[in-house]
Amino acid sequence: MSAPLEFTLLHPANLTEAVKQMQAHPNARLLAGGTDLVPNLRRGIGAPDTVIALGGIDTLNSITETASHVEIGAGVTLAGLLASNLPTRFPALQAAAEIASPSIRQAATIGGNLCLDTRCRFYNQSQWWRKANQFCLKLDGDTCHVAPKGKRCHATFSGDLAPALLVLGAEIRVENAQGGRWQPLAQLYNEDGLDHLTLAKGDLLVAVRFPTSETRRSGYLKSRVRRAGDFPLAGVAVALTRTGDKITDLRVAATGTNSAPLLFDDFADVIGQPLSDAALTQINKRIGQAIKPMRTTNQPGLYRRQMVAALSKRLISTLYEQGAN
Amino acid sequence: MADTRPKSVIGTPTPLIDGVEKVRGSAKYTADLMPREALVGRILRSPYSHAELIAVDIDKALALPGVVAIVTGKDSPIPYGIIPIAQNEHPMAQDRLRYRGEPVAAVAAIDAATAEAALDLIELRVRELPACYDAMHSRAPDAAQLHENKPGNLEREVHNSFGDIDAGFKAADLVAEDVFHCAEVTHAHMEPHAALAEYDPERDTLLFHSVTQVPYYVHLMLAQCLDLDKSRIRVIKPFVGGGFGARTETLNFELICAILARKAGGTVRMVLSREETFLTHRGRPAADIKLKLGLTKAGKITAVKAEMTQIGGAYGGYGIVTILYAGALLNALYDIPAVQYDGYRVYTNTPPCGAMRGHGTVDMRHAFDTMLNRLARQLGLDPIAVRRANLIDAPGETPNGLKITSYGLPQNLDWVEAASNWKTRKGNMPKGHGLGIGCSHFVSGAAKPVQWTGQPDAVVNLKLDFDAGITILTGAADIGQGSSTIVAQVVAEVMGLDFSRLRVISNDSAITPRDMGSYSSRVTYMVGNATLQAAQKLKARLIAAAAKALETTPDNIECLGETYRVADSQDRGLPFEKVVQEALKDHGAITERGTFTVPKAFQGGKHRGGAVGSTMGFSYAAQVVEVSVDLETGGITVEKVWVSHDCGFAINPLAVEGQVQGAIWMGMGQAMMEETRFHEGLPLHANFLDYSFPTTLDSPDIAVHIVNSIDPNGPFGAKEASEGGLAGFLPALAEAVAEATGCAINDMPLSPDRVFAAIEKKRKADKKRAAKKVPV
Repeated sequence: MSAPLEFTLLHPANLTEAVKQMQAHPNARLLAGGTDLVPNLRRGIGAPDTVIALGGIDTLNSITETASHVEIGAGVTLAGLLASNLPTRFPALQAAAEIASPSIRQAATIGGNLCLDTRCRFYNQSQWWRKANQFCLKLDGDTCHVAPKGKRCHATFSGDLAPALLVLGAEIRVENAQGGRWQPLAQLYNEDGLDHLTLAKGDLLVAVRFPTSETRRSGYLKSRVRRAGDFPLAGVAVALTRTGDKITDLRVAATGTNSAPLLFDDFADVIGQPLSDAALTQINKRIGQAIKPMRTTNQPGLYRRQMVAALSKRLISTLYEQGAN
Repeated sequence: MADTRPKSVIGTPTPLIDGVEKVRGSAKYTADLMPREALVGRILRSPYSHAELIAVDIDKALALPGVVAIVTGKDSPIPYGIIPIAQNEHPMAQDRLRYRGEPVAAVAAIDAATAEAALDLIELRVRELPACYDAMHSRAPDAAQLHENKPGNLEREVHNSFGDIDAGFKAADLVAEDVFHCAEVTHAHMEPHAALAEYDPERDTLLFHSVTQVPYYVHLMLAQCLDLDKSRIRVIKPFVGGGFGARTETLNFELICAILARKAGGTVRMVLSREETFLTHRGRPAADIKLKLGLTKAGKITAVKAEMTQIGGAYGGYGIVTILYAGALLNALYDIPAVQYDGYRVYTNTPPCGAMRGHGTVDMRHAFDTMLNRLARQLGLDPIAVRRANLIDAPGETPNGLKITSYGLPQNLDWVEAASNWKTRKGNMPKGHGLGIGCSHFVSGAAKPVQWTGQPDAVVNLKLDFDAGITILTGAADIGQGSSTIVAQVVAEVMGLDFSRLRVISNDSAITPRDMGSYSSRVTYMVGNATLQAAQKLKARLIAAAAKALETTPDNIECLGETYRVADSQDRGLPFEKVVQEALKDHGAITERGTFTVPKAFQGGKHRGGAVGSTMGFSYAAQVVEVSVDLETGGITVEKVWVSHDCGFAINPLAVEGQVQGAIWMGMGQAMMEETRFHEGLPLHANFLDYSFPTTLDSPDIAVHIVNSIDPNGPFGAKEASEGGLAGFLPALAEAVAEATGCAINDMPLSPDRVFAAIEKKRKADKKRAAKKVPV
């Protein structure tokens, strides 16, 4: 058992206070559900002096809907999202039900899942373990044990919600001392396991939104060893529009394969065509060129690659078979 | 004397008597014991796989304020181990480090932060040595040697042959040979390891609490390693959250905690992290199996030749027993006239393996029954029919000297065949679906203890005093399996009383008689028999007292539990309390003792190691597993399991059902996903996220049928119930997956990536074959 963690815990009552505290403590870590942060801290992954707990900021905890957008506060829990009618209306959001286990979903938040730290079998280990292994590029070391000859960290992004929200065309709201902005969710991520979020110091993710008019058929499928608890070996979200026999719009997003979730929305050669084996092969070829599952998990990277192909094929076919929108 | 009580206590589903505390959350486990004065104990573990340990410099750490004591290998020069002839492990490393995670030193400090800071200040000087992580490298001619006295890194070789092997294979119509590999697995018990050592420096005594399954063996090893008289030690086992074999021998942290407490002159509490619990390990070793099996056209087994290599880790532990078990229990399930077994237990620079549920038998059973299923298919025979063709004529004796007293395998087969609708469904399952069968067995207690003392195998004391309550004093370790409930049921049954007059006190070496502990499924059989005898003696005593008071002879007394009366009379009789008063007259508190000893005749063959596998009663299980396989992902869904278990007699059918389901579930974990993995000796799996075992969502409905074959020697006919069902799951799953996918997979576990790879391989081969067949 590790010794109790020691840090100053701040409890901002509102966003303004939170942003101020983040400015005053630029190295502070943010705590929402804590389901990702706390296990890491207990393993000696990071040792912040200050932790800012966001749980007291009510404005982060609501789901609102206007004629144009559905907006989900970053502090809404996964259980809270699942209790709403959104996963029924926008089925890709059922990805939330595939995350972890019921007890963790009670605490874990949307914002936390979108900002999930990248994972690797050489990184998510105890201090003793990482030290015995001469640490790694992501923390305290200078070699990536996944690709020792390379110069970058290959730790994998494993959030389940990001691909679902990406195919729904989501944007995120970022607040900082200078004000706030909406930006496409895809711009939150970098393909770098060491620094996979584009948020600057002082930036706080406060909400995610997508168009209320979103009518594409959508879904999410996840590959894993067991049915609860596991992070995705690979996850695929799809949103598509079928008009008559033809696919008129298609977005695919993948997680668990790279250091960032990947969105694919450029399928020009498939759009306007009926779904066929050739089209599916074409789609998977396009995805297969971009994904890069490395040996960051205990299961082989090849299998994860194969699963992206299998799941995207299955999901696209299923959604297409549901008929015209 | 007539027994006319209205209902039986035995054979009735009975909630565990210690369940209330567990459900309420008030049960105290070792980690819950927090004396105010307790120091925090922490272990420094080797970061090296293999190294000569030149020096351990503790000066800086010792100077840290708040550090009370530091111990190293110098404080633990005496080796320990479960097998008296194979003790090659020290609580803390001496001059060699043999695996990453091996304890090197330990600190007692006023709090956890100080203890951990002190660990960082301890400096190791080492000379690194080449390391071996698998059998091939370990057995290579130029491999680094782990132990000077074990050339070739071989802990034990076993070569046994019974019956005429050559004639057997000659008589076969079909002979097949294949190679299997089963990954190393571990117990993953819920409660992490913990110990509390309270040393009294004035009296030179030690009070010790631990998570153990074997308090007696812990007691012996504490005395040995601390060079402290056994009488100065008291060992108590509080509530324990699972064991499954992980705690069937004394573990290094237990000894370290006590050594540290003595050096600190006080109390040390040691609670290990999950990672450390994984590093302490003692799980089931990885196994390479080469198997040759001969069958006649009618499906009769003519001979088997099996070779097993177990990758045992850095120290001996139970290794000798494990490698012997794998060969011994090739016998006693089916009638096999000729059996050859060659076993190799190999040292590697990984955490030491040990005993795990189904000790030594599981991987071999997987290989054997998988091959039997395949050969049945090749011969066009039904796998169940093949098993029926190889039933043992019981009672009987196997070629290697194991005695079979009761044999419920035929009834098991009948039930699973009918319940699963096997006859109409097997072979006719839709694509992606499959049914498979596997059988297995296990001992009801090892007939010969690992340490010979000449004492009975089990002793139980019943204390009866002025309060007319019966205190059952037993050393049997209830680790959640329900042994305390069993002894209470046995006493209640014999005495005709309900539980309100009974209390069970277990596992306090100062109070309860010595018991070897909970392993090899010995408790219900051995402790149950001892309890039965003690209760019968106590009852006879009360009958005598009642006879005296009622002025008749004992054979005229009828015991109705709460009333003793003259048989066939209108006499209102004496209430129990009055009978007790009579019995205590001129005598005072009564302690009746029951014992049980396995007769020599049951202790196995005369060959070297022949005692391993011997028992007074084998349990038998058969199971049918139904799966569906996602052919596009390799994911297996276990739809349903039908299992029939011959436990002789179910004293507590509720507990038996739970234990059988638990065994199946654990077999399922090993068969589907469990697997340890190391990166140069560092565990990549040492947490409950990366060491996957099935969740509730992965768990099928498990229909349990109990066969009561009434063993002639078990208490009320009872035998083993907790381990026998496990091994059969693996071959049953492999067979079901083979039907669903058309793929024969020889490696365990059948994780989705392995299954998918096999499906892909077959798809490509089929394509190639089809292409060849197309006429040009």
